[in-house]
Amino acid sequence: MSDRIFAVLWIGVCVVILYQMWALAVPFAYEPVGPKAFPMLMAFLMAACCVVLVIKPDADVHWPEASLLIKGALLVAVLLGYASLFAWLGFPLATVAMALMVSRLFGGSWLSSAVMAVIIGLLGYLVFDRLLEVSLPLGLTRLES
Amino acid sequence: MDNISHLGEGFSVALLPLNLLLSTVGCFTGTVLGLLPGLGPINGVAIFLPLAFAMHLPPESALILLASVYMGCEYGGRISAILLNVPGDAGAVMTTVDGFPMAQKGLAGVALSISAISSFFGALVATVGIVLFAPILSGWALSFGPAEYFALMVFAIATLGGMLGGKPAKALLGCFIGISLAMIGIDSGTGVYRLTFGNVHLSDGIQFIVVVIGLFAVSEILVMLEHTHSGAKVVRVSGRLLFNAREFTSSVFTIVRSAFMGFGIGILPGAGATIASAIAYTTEKRISDKDGTFGKGDHRGVAAPEAANNASACGSFIPMLTLGVPGSGTTAVMLGALTLYNITPGPLLLESRPEIVWGLIASLFIANVLLLIMNIPLIRLFTRMLAIPNAILVPLIASVSFIGVYGIHSSTFDLTLMVILGVFGYILRKLHFPTGPIILGFVLAELMERNLRRALAISDGDPWILFSSPLAIALWGMAATVLLAPLIWKLARGGFKRSPVSAMTVDEGVPADDTTRD
Repeated sequence: MSDRIFAVLWIGVCVVILYQMWALAVPFAYEPVGPKAFPMLMAFLMAACCVVLVIKPDADVHWPEASLLIKGALLVAVLLGYASLFAWLGFPLATVAMALMVSRLFGGSWLSSAVMAVIIGLLGYLVFDRLLEVSLPLGLTRLES
Repeated sequence: MDNISHLGEGFSVALLPLNLLLSTVGCFTGTVLGLLPGLGPINGVAIFLPLAFAMHLPPESALILLASVYMGCEYGGRISAILLNVPGDAGAVMTTVDGFPMAQKGLAGVALSISAISSFFGALVATVGIVLFAPILSGWALSFGPAEYFALMVFAIATLGGMLGGKPAKALLGCFIGISLAMIGIDSGTGVYRLTFGNVHLSDGIQFIVVVIGLFAVSEILVMLEHTHSGAKVVRVSGRLLFNAREFTSSVFTIVRSAFMGFGIGILPGAGATIASAIAYTTEKRISDKDGTFGKGDHRGVAAPEAANNASACGSFIPMLTLGVPGSGTTAVMLGALTLYNITPGPLLLESRPEIVWGLIASLFIANVLLLIMNIPLIRLFTRMLAIPNAILVPLIASVSFIGVYGIHSSTFDLTLMVILGVFGYILRKLHFPTGPIILGFVLAELMERNLRRALAISDGDPWILFSSPLAIALWGMAATVLLAPLIWKLARGGFKRSPVSAMTVDEGVPADDTTRD
């Protein structure tokens, strides 16, 4: 069933791609094959694979139970938050917050998670930014110091 | 004998203190990543790639680091296979069959050491093979025109689709999804924006690293949440640490046979270490299982898959280095690393940047020796790493992945996109889509489209140019064969027999999507 749902949704994506490419205005082309043909070919091939999946799906997927799905959603939310606050909060602060929450989600105790989060945040900044010259944002931390 | 002098130059690159240090670091962390269940070579290489780039390493050093991680993972996968009965990476699936029974019999040390020496020998055979064959193949590839290149890439995709057991539709769909993802952004031929939906951040296309980290680090984290270790028992390493002379002599031929077999399979674009180790194991079982000891802890059953596994991992460098067409997901990621440095992979690479190619080959020799040294005396240290809880590991992986992606373009949009792609990758993996083809498609997309358009520009739109040379026709024929052969085979045998590879991986309780992740 999961296969079928995915395949049908993806056929929708293929239709969007086909429409986008069909509507694309190309000022002038120097070559016989413009920028439209290849993506359209791919959309057709993907749709064909999806049709195969609709007709002959695999055995159904074992999705995790609700409590795990909630945990998964929380994890995604934490990672999205980490991504958007990475520059604003600065690497050390954002990382401490992310590591604390992710570690808790993976079953760490409050104490060990907190200790490890602080270590990753500070050590990560020192090792990568100072030692290995990968520039990392300081964000709010810069204003405070 | 040109090769020998080139190899000498390669060693002078690989033995530079920086590169030697990177090899050591790569081998060590690679082994650790390999032995952790869930994390395999493709994840390891994916996590290290942006770091190498953000640290401003020169291209040859970056490749040396990535190659050492790759080799280390292939060595590390066997440790958890033997001690935990859980393959640390996809290539080690077959190692569990005899490795774990050996460990239960108190022969864990023997199993670990004989698999280490088999890995060493497999990788050695394949690396010598690279030295011998790479220049020949790249010389031959110089005669490829755009039509032949296009056919070659179709062949690589077809092999990946056809070789993956019962799921050609999913492997192919994954590959096309990868290609379509790469279509997003400005078209280099005409300058029009394709599929950007008006988003400025997408006008340059999706960065390769964002896709790689999204698919192989973020989605992995989500999968790990489901498989939080349920207290699996690690078998303690006790007794003899080293195999004895009798055990060694009885497995010599096994190792040699499997190494050559693995190398041969590794060269094929699309067929990787998982298939190699499975075929080597079944062949060896047929040849030497006279007393029915295979599956009950026969040391030859550990030697065969490990030799083949490592030989094929090294062998898969050949299509990547000489043709610019990667043979597996992991080499696809490495090929992408080259393009980050604005280096065009392909047959010209060997002449234009010999320090990269030969430095990489020489570093394979060095990494192999380092790994053998690490893996026999330091084995107890590595077995302790099996106890690292996910509560420490996952935040570490997450922050290192974010550092790598942010370090390259300093863009938070990339970070968000990476998480979204990670969720998409997670859904695909839950649906048992192999992830290797997606990244292969993404890497090959631009090259494929460019060659197709160039070929048709030469012929002024006549598609027959794609089938105009004997070589191109042969490649199309091979592509059709690998795609259709399993289908015909199935029909001929009554329609419901699964191919040996997929049947075995399913029996071992490993999700079949792991078959491409080598």
